[in-house]
Amino acid sequence: MKRQQKIASLLVYGVLLLLAFIFVAPVAMMVVGSLKPDARVLQEAGSLSGLLPHTIEWQNYADVFARVPFINYLFNSLFISVSIVVCGLLVNSLAGYAFSRLQWKGRDALLLLVVSLMIIPLEAIAVPLFYEVTLLGWRNTYLVQIVPFIANAFSIYLFYSFFLGLPRELEEAARIDGAGPWRTFFYIVAPNARPVFASVAILTFLTQWGSFLWPLMVTSSESVRPLPLGIAAFYTLPPLQWGDIFAFGVMMVLPVLLVFILFQRWFVQGVASTGVKG
Amino acid sequence: MIPAMGSRMNITGFFKYIFCIGLGCWMLYGCDQQGSDNSQSHSLQLQAWSHAGQAAERQVLQDQVRRFNQQAGKIHVELTFIPEQNYNAQVQAAALAGDLPDMLEFDGPYLYNYIWQGQLQPLDGLLPQSLVNDLLPSILAQGRYAGHLYSVGVFDSGLGLYARRSELQAIHARIPKAATDAWSIAEFNTILQQLAARHVQQHKPAAVLDLKLNYRDEWFTYGFSPILQSAGADLIERKNYQHSTGLLNSKAAVAALQNVQHWIQQGYVDPNLDDAAFTRGRVALCWVGHWAYADYHKAWGDDLLLLPLPDFGHGSRTGQGSWNWGISHSSDHAREAASFIHFLLRTDEVLLMTRANGAVPGTRSAVQASRLYGKSGPLRVFADQLLHGVSVPRPKTPAYPVITSEFQKAFAQLRNGADVQPALDRAAFRIDQDIRDNQGYKIVVHANGE
Amino acid sequence: MANKLQHQQHRIAWNFVLPAMLGLLAFVLVPFILAIILSFTNLRLGSPLPMEFVAFTQYQRIFSDTAFLHGLRNNALFALLVVPVQTGLALLLALLINQSLRGMVVFRTLFFMPVVFPLSLVAVIWVLLFAPGPEGSLNSLLQLVSFGAWQPRDFLHDASWALPAITLTSVWQGVGFQMVILLAALQGIPQELYEAARVDGASSPQQLLFITIPQLRNALIFVILVTTILAFRLFDQVQIMTQGGPQYATTTVMYEAVNAAFASQQVARAAAMTVVFFVIVLLLTLVQRYWLKHEKVIE
Repeated sequence: MKRQQKIASLLVYGVLLLLAFIFVAPVAMMVVGSLKPDARVLQEAGSLSGLLPHTIEWQNYADVFARVPFINYLFNSLFISVSIVVCGLLVNSLAGYAFSRLQWKGRDALLLLVVSLMIIPLEAIAVPLFYEVTLLGWRNTYLVQIVPFIANAFSIYLFYSFFLGLPRELEEAARIDGAGPWRTFFYIVAPNARPVFASVAILTFLTQWGSFLWPLMVTSSESVRPLPLGIAAFYTLPPLQWGDIFAFGVMMVLPVLLVFILFQRWFVQGVASTGVKG
Repeated sequence: MIPAMGSRMNITGFFKYIFCIGLGCWMLYGCDQQGSDNSQSHSLQLQAWSHAGQAAERQVLQDQVRRFNQQAGKIHVELTFIPEQNYNAQVQAAALAGDLPDMLEFDGPYLYNYIWQGQLQPLDGLLPQSLVNDLLPSILAQGRYAGHLYSVGVFDSGLGLYARRSELQAIHARIPKAATDAWSIAEFNTILQQLAARHVQQHKPAAVLDLKLNYRDEWFTYGFSPILQSAGADLIERKNYQHSTGLLNSKAAVAALQNVQHWIQQGYVDPNLDDAAFTRGRVALCWVGHWAYADYHKAWGDDLLLLPLPDFGHGSRTGQGSWNWGISHSSDHAREAASFIHFLLRTDEVLLMTRANGAVPGTRSAVQASRLYGKSGPLRVFADQLLHGVSVPRPKTPAYPVITSEFQKAFAQLRNGADVQPALDRAAFRIDQDIRDNQGYKIVVHANGE
Repeated sequence: MANKLQHQQHRIAWNFVLPAMLGLLAFVLVPFILAIILSFTNLRLGSPLPMEFVAFTQYQRIFSDTAFLHGLRNNALFALLVVPVQTGLALLLALLINQSLRGMVVFRTLFFMPVVFPLSLVAVIWVLLFAPGPEGSLNSLLQLVSFGAWQPRDFLHDASWALPAITLTSVWQGVGFQMVILLAALQGIPQELYEAARVDGASSPQQLLFITIPQLRNALIFVILVTTILAFRLFDQVQIMTQGGPQYATTTVMYEAVNAAFASQQVARAAAMTVVFFVIVLLLTLVQRYWLKHEKVIE
């Protein structure tokens, strides 16, 4: 019996390693490619040396800093994404809570509306929204990249799903103590909802971090532009400098990756809890 | 009995954070306001946009701006580089918002749509006549529209066939000396066949021609619409620019593009993913523009030849047109902006730029003084093509964005083996529909602001 | 007294909900309604001509346009491909990682890592992986694995391989997200169920089929719903990797709409496309949710 178990474990490890290889290979290629001179990236794309570093050259990273104001772009991306996340957490969680726990006229109708709005992608409303923000005079600012994205139907829905599944005892206890909805929310509900806050935070952050089309349309000066527009500077006439592009890519993903690794447990818990309640 | 948990989300902390963010937003919002309120009291700020081209080009332009600012005293030009790939989309977005800079570049024939939108003001009278007379006829033709001069280009482009002499000699091919002498399409097909056979004999892949299929977007129209003209067809009728049907999808056009498709299907064309098919010697011929000269010369030196494109029946034809500078309608400082453009067009400045990007200098004086393009220069072919009408401008119409978009789509299809006739039919239909939708693109907003 | 309480709750609820609603109204609903209105006009970006109302012309045109119809078809095909493949793979990974063996957290991190990458970056990397010829990464891998039997293909320019290639890219990027959801749901299944089944003599596959999957129903349905909606929004990969080709094999509704708006400057036409898109996805979502409610009732 033990032997069977051992074989089964080995099998599981084997399959996992194989799959892990498939998942990691493209990332490895990017990291390794960022440490090679441009010409060799394409040459070695087909062989194993595309995945394993031979020499480590930092020239591509130096190129990126020389070519574009990377720190500026990084700051802009961070500022914009964090602002959207923080404001969004506040605004959307309140709404999600109201939908799930409070009784009020028009609740069901509005909820249906929110669910329908989840479907609309940014690309569908980009042009009318563009006209709107131009009218407001918000072009070429941080404001225009932040404010339209604070309220988010998907986030509201995630909060709503999660709060539905929270045990009512906590709120009952608070109500008996005479706490109104505001205090209940901020002191009781929210602290117990860390997983959903974490997952909405990270999902929103991920979406906004990679946002390209909207900043492209509404900004033109480097002082407010985010990272994805920075990488576009490398998409000139061929030959594409893959080494530089990969170096940029690595640096772009690193902050998010770090945050993810640090907050993994919370996040995994959060993402999972929203799905299960679905 | 509300538990005082070690909650990270207590109200005061939360609102403090929000407040700080809000404050920060406001401050940065204020600081980031663009525009003339930023100007210092003693200098006039001008905004200029340029495409972010190759490193050498950018370097030269930045240098030129710096030197201009030094000697211009009152005027201060601020240059912004816009990524090349989405250049037109960004200019369009800014134009819609009324946010265009004082002066900016346009990519060749995209200019006319902006003129039609009323986004540019004419340069008439802003540049000295002597300078205007010195411009290449192709530059003038490109910048003139509806009776006014709207833009000038510092350089023009050249398109041709680079070849390696040794390869051609090995198959005893005739080497053309000028556009009038170009290979006929039959000759060219035979040469491709012979080169390929030789490769196969040497156990190498049959690819012998590089069409830069790894490029994107505008390249396909620029690089391959001259084939239509060489075959007696065209993208659109050039008298009134009202319809493409009958020209773009004519029998001649279909036959010519089928020929190109044939090359691809026979395996004569290298996919060129590493953009080094010619420099590494995988192919003997490369269909590309002036910008490749520097690399190719470095790789092959004396073995490098520059030949005219093959003649599809009505004479060898090639492309022209490139980036050009114009002044936006909303600018209040047209004179000063024009002085910057004037600076860029000085002979030595033009030569600095063309030395960096290998393009054809935009003024006759610069051409004469150029090492590459002068009388005995190796790229004289390009200059001749422009000066003697071998090159054909892309259609001068506000419908150009649609025309190029449709042609690119059709080309993308035929390169993957689709039937050429229906692809061209559809392109012509969509172009005609667009022109009708826009009431023929007649000029509605006039230059003097009516 | 009850009414006053209700009234109070009503007011407070509106306070809670107002900022989000204002935001959604101003920045999602209003532009969308504008888009609907625009779809009945002939508005073009930057045109100096006055805008006119043309009723259903835009809709007539897009439904007779090969590209758009292909887009609809491809969206459906893509959803049909991606949803089962991604969900199936996610389930497999979740089951594997759920074993109480050492080092599972490492694997979990590795599988989730691609989710952290912006789609545009993912697409760029995969363009390189799909390079044609024997030097291309995927081609050489397949050649290795098939002992030379594999003929190198140009995946992104081959009408039959382009959409599967994009599917692979999307699955790579998205599977981690689903895996994590299913994993947590797996961990929530009470062990007693399995013990009871083992006592009854049920084999492993039987346990999987009759205990695990039914217990995962909610999570699976959530995952399927979200993936379907996201599948219809397919755009980034198409734009970067295939530009809708070859021969419309990979064009999607969103890709056609963005191109119509920005490359051809036909805003009204793009608006019509997005309205059609919205209606289709809304219907699909409603159908899926109805099916879910229906099942709940039975249970």
